[in-house]
Amino acid sequence: MELQPVYIQILALILFALGIAVTLSRRNVFFVLMGIELALNAVNLSLVGFAKTLPAMTSITGQIIPLFTIGVAAAEACVGLAVVILIFRSQDSVDIDTYSNMKG
Amino acid sequence: MLALIYFLILGVIAVGGALCVLLSKHPLYGALSLVVTMLSLAGIYGLLGSPFVGVVQVMVYAGAIMMLLTFVIMVLNGARDNRTPRFDKISLFVIPAIILMALMLSFLILRTPLVFNPDTARGTVSLTAATLFDTSASGPGYFLLFEAIGLLLLSAMATAVILAKKKLGSPETSDSEEVH
Repeated sequence: MELQPVYIQILALILFALGIAVTLSRRNVFFVLMGIELALNAVNLSLVGFAKTLPAMTSITGQIIPLFTIGVAAAEACVGLAVVILIFRSQDSVDIDTYSNMKG
Repeated sequence: MLALIYFLILGVIAVGGALCVLLSKHPLYGALSLVVTMLSLAGIYGLLGSPFVGVVQVMVYAGAIMMLLTFVIMVLNGARDNRTPRFDKISLFVIPAIILMALMLSFLILRTPLVFNPDTARGTVSLTAATLFDTSASGPGYFLLFEAIGLLLLSAMATAVILAKKKLGSPETSDSEEVH
């Protein structure tokens, strides 16, 4: 019994499914943002896991792309939380169903 | 064998943290379980031989992003609204659809032949930096991406400041902060 690449992909799939489930089924807006972060993490894990099945200079690509993904996730969290602050001031609720009108 | 044991322990911790995110009621507990998930994922990166990605995961994800999220949850007091239910009727359709998607994808993954390559590169700091910044060896593609990420982060910071400020040019009134 050794560590197989399939195990890493299965773990990434479980985390991605849980992240999508959190995003689509929870009603608190903070959980929606956290589900997006969880799904992004799962994709990073999948990239690193696939990179380890490739030879030397090809596999370094799969370990650099997660760095860019992390940067994009940081920008996304920054703008997303600013939008949440803005909507929370006008709606005074964290329920995602009350955010149906997108008027500032 | 030892790698498999470490992977199983870290994977169980990661999945447990993700389940806590799905099931917890308070957003702060969800954020803290998400930090646990990200730290165990950083351990898995180190186990797979990408220590630089693991360190960046700890610093940026578990450090910066989750600190920002926790800070906003505490400032807005997002758990004050206790009557909001965790799930609604849409979840009855969403959860089976996600389970179906996961089953189909796992069928695809399990049929794919995957083996670890023995001469794969270890993603150390020096190799990552050489690939990113040595444009004579690896071409300018990664360096241009790096600059684009820098511009994206700068514009995201400016957007967040403009959005979260009430109105540009007006002094901040203090009445709305005390209500929360």
